[in-house]
Amino acid sequence: MALLTVIGRGVRVRGRIQGEGELSIEGHVEGEIAVSGEVTVEAGGLVGAAVRGRVVTVRGAVRGDLTADEVIRLEDGARVVGDIRAPRIAIDKGALVRGLVQTAASGAPARAKGAERAAAAPAVQKAPAAKPAPRPAPAARPAAAPAPAPAARPVAAAPVVVPASRPAVASALAGAPARKPPPPVVPALKKGAKAALKKKAQ
Amino acid sequence: MAQPRSSSSSAAAHAAAAIGPGSRVRGRVTGDGDLTVHGRLEGEVQLRGSLFIDEGAHVEANVDADALRVGGTLEGNVSVAGDVTILSGARVRGDVRGASIALHEGGELDGRLDSEFTLPRELGGGGEGGDDNHKKPARR
Amino acid sequence: MASTVIGAGITIEGEVSSDEEVVVQGTIRGKLEAREAVTIEAGGTVEADITAGPLSVAGNVTGNITSSDRVDLQAGARVVGNVKATRITIADGAQFKGNVDMDV
Repeated sequence: MALLTVIGRGVRVRGRIQGEGELSIEGHVEGEIAVSGEVTVEAGGLVGAAVRGRVVTVRGAVRGDLTADEVIRLEDGARVVGDIRAPRIAIDKGALVRGLVQTAASGAPARAKGAERAAAAPAVQKAPAAKPAPRPAPAARPAAAPAPAPAARPVAAAPVVVPASRPAVASALAGAPARKPPPPVVPALKKGAKAALKKKAQ
Repeated sequence: MAQPRSSSSSAAAHAAAAIGPGSRVRGRVTGDGDLTVHGRLEGEVQLRGSLFIDEGAHVEANVDADALRVGGTLEGNVSVAGDVTILSGARVRGDVRGASIALHEGGELDGRLDSEFTLPRELGGGGEGGDDNHKKPARR
Repeated sequence: MASTVIGAGITIEGEVSSDEEVVVQGTIRGKLEAREAVTIEAGGTVEADITAGPLSVAGNVTGNITSSDRVDLQAGARVVGNVKATRITIADGAQFKGNVDMDV
């Protein structure tokens, strides 16, 4: 009973690949991939799909989110457009990525675990949505400024790049030791306070 | 070398500068040359040189440099002309842009990576992120 | 030539098209088109119309089969669907329900 599935170079799959075992993709898969074992997108492999596995290794090209229970490795030559989430992630110098990258203490950060991560998660999730907005700081590398003239940077006092989507980072830059969740809008009421307020209002 | 609470500090051209383990700098750090941080830096970094954040160091700043190597903690967005290397003990939160970005297994990262490249045509490439040869002007 | 193997624990729902040989030990639901030989091993299941070169079936097929070459149903095979091929063999122990159309 073979546990390895090989999608060869001359093969195109359009649909969902799922189940138990290891998967090696040399061809072209469009759709969805979710297997229990190791998924490898070989050099020359093309994947237009979200990929889930225990271990995900990419040497080819992927347009889709990568999620792994253990580790994701992007090797030299990998090209990935999509979000990457796993407890451990390794990205070679020759791998190119466009997307969110999140290492996590215990897999699938979408299900936030530790308090810190839980606080960070909402702020991070918002970031991709706001990404189309221009980012002043990184983009504003004056090409030929001999001295890094602070005047060239449009943003003055406040830390640069403060899109609303990253309030946590802004507060961190202001000196907070770590990201904290925004304070609750409604303070918790003591028992009986609600009734007391109602009575007051009458 | 480290001037606590200075509003700006410049490293001498091409000389290596360092913020020692017991030091803390708050403000905008600019200069020509490499900078190594062993202590704390909060604010903003603009270097025509390499920034090295040592293990145990803590930087909360947006970083604009020629190269970046992180072994400690970095919170901030990164825009580097050359190589970014996140070592296995590092913790980085923020968006990272560089000619190359390497993450060693064990390093923690929480942020966006944005490299310029196009996917193969079969995956709809040829427009995303711009052409490799003809760089579009930076998006603002 | 490298061959494509759909392993036993794997299910593909969708269309598979190949210009190389395909071995099915798992499940394909949808459509299977191959230019070369297709082998459906014992335990393999294909719920799809199949277009292939030579086809050898020891597993389950529910769907119409169009082969440019020969179709061989091994003992243990279970095929429900019409078969169009140049040659066909149905081994003792194979189960088959459908029409057979041989280019004559």
